[in-house]
Amino acid sequence: MNVMLYSMEIAMVLSGLGILMLDLGTPARGKRDLGYLAAFLMSLLLLQSVFMPEVQDGFSLLSSGHSITEGPGYKLDAFARYFKHLFLLAAILVLLMAVDFAGTLRARLAEFFALVLFALTGMSAAASATNFITLFVSIELITVSFYVLTSFQRGQMRSLEAGVKYLILGAAASAVLVYGIALVYGATGSMEFAALGKACPSAEHDHLLRLGLLLVIAGLGFKIAAFPFQIWVPDVYQGAPAPVTAFLAVGSKAAGFALLMRLCHHLRPDLRELTLTVLAALAGATILYGSLCALRQRNLKRLFGYAGIASAGYLLLGLLALNAQPGASPSGAQGCHAMMFYLAGYLIAVMAAFTVLCHLDGEDEDLSVLAGLHARSPLLATVLTLSVVSMAGLPPLMGFLGKFLLLQSAFEVLSPHPAQLWLMVVALGGVVISLYYYFGILRAIYWGGGISPGRPAGESEAITVPPLARLLLIACGLILLWVGIFPQALLEWLGDAVALFR
Amino acid sequence: MTLNHYLVLSAILLGIGLLGVLTRRNIIVVLFSIEILFNAANLNFIAFWRFGPNPEALMGPMFALFAIAVAAAEVAVGLALVIAVYRHFKTVDLEKLDTLREP
Amino acid sequence: MGDVFPQLAAISPDDAHGARYLLLAVMGVVAVGFAVAPLLLSALVAPRKPSEIKQSPFECGLESKGDAWVQFRVQYYLYALAFVIFDVEVVFIYPWAAAFTNLSTGALVAMGVFVLLLAEGLAYLWIKGVLSWK
Repeated sequence: MNVMLYSMEIAMVLSGLGILMLDLGTPARGKRDLGYLAAFLMSLLLLQSVFMPEVQDGFSLLSSGHSITEGPGYKLDAFARYFKHLFLLAAILVLLMAVDFAGTLRARLAEFFALVLFALTGMSAAASATNFITLFVSIELITVSFYVLTSFQRGQMRSLEAGVKYLILGAAASAVLVYGIALVYGATGSMEFAALGKACPSAEHDHLLRLGLLLVIAGLGFKIAAFPFQIWVPDVYQGAPAPVTAFLAVGSKAAGFALLMRLCHHLRPDLRELTLTVLAALAGATILYGSLCALRQRNLKRLFGYAGIASAGYLLLGLLALNAQPGASPSGAQGCHAMMFYLAGYLIAVMAAFTVLCHLDGEDEDLSVLAGLHARSPLLATVLTLSVVSMAGLPPLMGFLGKFLLLQSAFEVLSPHPAQLWLMVVALGGVVISLYYYFGILRAIYWGGGISPGRPAGESEAITVPPLARLLLIACGLILLWVGIFPQALLEWLGDAVALFR
Repeated sequence: MTLNHYLVLSAILLGIGLLGVLTRRNIIVVLFSIEILFNAANLNFIAFWRFGPNPEALMGPMFALFAIAVAAAEVAVGLALVIAVYRHFKTVDLEKLDTLREP
Repeated sequence: MGDVFPQLAAISPDDAHGARYLLLAVMGVVAVGFAVAPLLLSALVAPRKPSEIKQSPFECGLESKGDAWVQFRVQYYLYALAFVIFDVEVVFIYPWAAAFTNLSTGALVAMGVFVLLLAEGLAYLWIKGVLSWK
């Protein structure tokens, strides 16, 4: 075993424990600085991993003479690294968001930061998982941290209620996942994903494997909020503190998809037919459900929740392409490429939107709090506009290319089966519907006077944004624009990460 | 005692657990049911390991240990939440937690 | 790892289980009978004269009052939760201890890290004042 292989996770855990220990000696007014410290440490880790990835390899070279990228149930390849970078970026933004949000989180702030780091550790391990033990432990590290984070505002009924709902549904989903893993283990006799590619000893084992696989997909479907397992999303998104909702929307979902991608990559051809059908049904239902429910939503966090369900549906389209028979005209790499690009755009857009939400006043997050935002704070209005337009998938922003690539990859896979073209109709319909509900947000920002009888536009005073948040918001907006117009650099960078799926 | 006996027992436990999670309204009883679900899966792991092709690998019991520890963590968080909920809502009835819903 | 459960490995699945479990079954029947017999006897033999005092729950002779769902001090629950967490960690330590003589130094270090993590949690609880009964 090479400890350096796990150095990123170890650094995250140690940072979390360090924050907890430092908290004991920190006076109440200094607690917010612990958030800056955590964000700073994670930035260092991100920079190290992006610019000096050989650090991890270097140590293993010293100790064993050759570079090690694989341990039991764990793989540190370009795919894992890409997701680790996404998670680190999300965690940094969430930590900084939480520092500004600190007023409503009150005491125990250090525990909040530490829990964010522990959830990040789980996500990071999930990106590297190559067997079911790592999968299970990392998924649980994420969800258990999120149970606590969701109910962090213990004084508020809705936060507690969201926590209880998430806990009960999440724990039941985990139990189903474990049961599925047990069946897969019984059928293959192994915990490795790679064993899914081998033939089973008998037809009975094969049935067991199929059933187990369906249960595993159901368990992971809960984490990514796919259709029949999405019931927790609106309530939990609404009740949780805004930074937690953002982290849940981006991190938890991306971790679930990373695991599904690795899992599907190892499936043998006849199992791929099964998952193709299941995933197609899930994707269609998820897009339809998310889009239709978002239509009549006026609470911003619930709206983003339903929009998040719909985007999980689009991501499932990419997973569908990844499940195509190896050797079919578009390789799985294309679907993977699209999913990873989309997730990056989604991350930036969601983080920007929720940072804006944190700076709005008003407890209820009704659309009317946006009224006159363009007059009260042009910066917030502009960034929220960019983020919403990107999520809607309009050019020239980052979200457009992501959604386009996803639709394209699924279209090429499905074109040999004309019967499944209905899925494309549903997906395109979802895009059209999303234009409507995202436009509702823009209407509330710029022409909000009409729909908020209680508060005429422009009457409230200007909103002041702290300098650091201002900087981050501008950065998010610029990234959405820049990568949207010049996507080539990111796409090339992704080329390495998807080599696995070629 | 064959593998099938254990699988049937575990399937029955799964059914009891799911029924409990879906129909009961007391949070504590729901937490019990979730424990039953986890134990149904654990029983499967041990049975498959015992009757499987290579009992030397010990993968089954190992996973069961992780599942037990994780289930304990979930229940600990769950009970802490139940205490917090009882202090605010004065109830442990899930139906009465309804401040979050469609407007 | 093969020696973690030596006694289990010695039993093969196709052993005759009947004899092995017969004793357990007899024990079970006797235990249940021991509990049920007095209940049955009193139900058959005892005269029925219910009164309010007889119907009330028995609490060491004191009159019971109030709701059973009374709130204990929060500290009480915190102790219980801390106990649940630390108690379950034994499932990792026990197999490690059972196989201790055959394990490498790496396993010792790994378990040391694990125990240190637990100790860190305990120290955190302690310093936060959760363990002091105010």
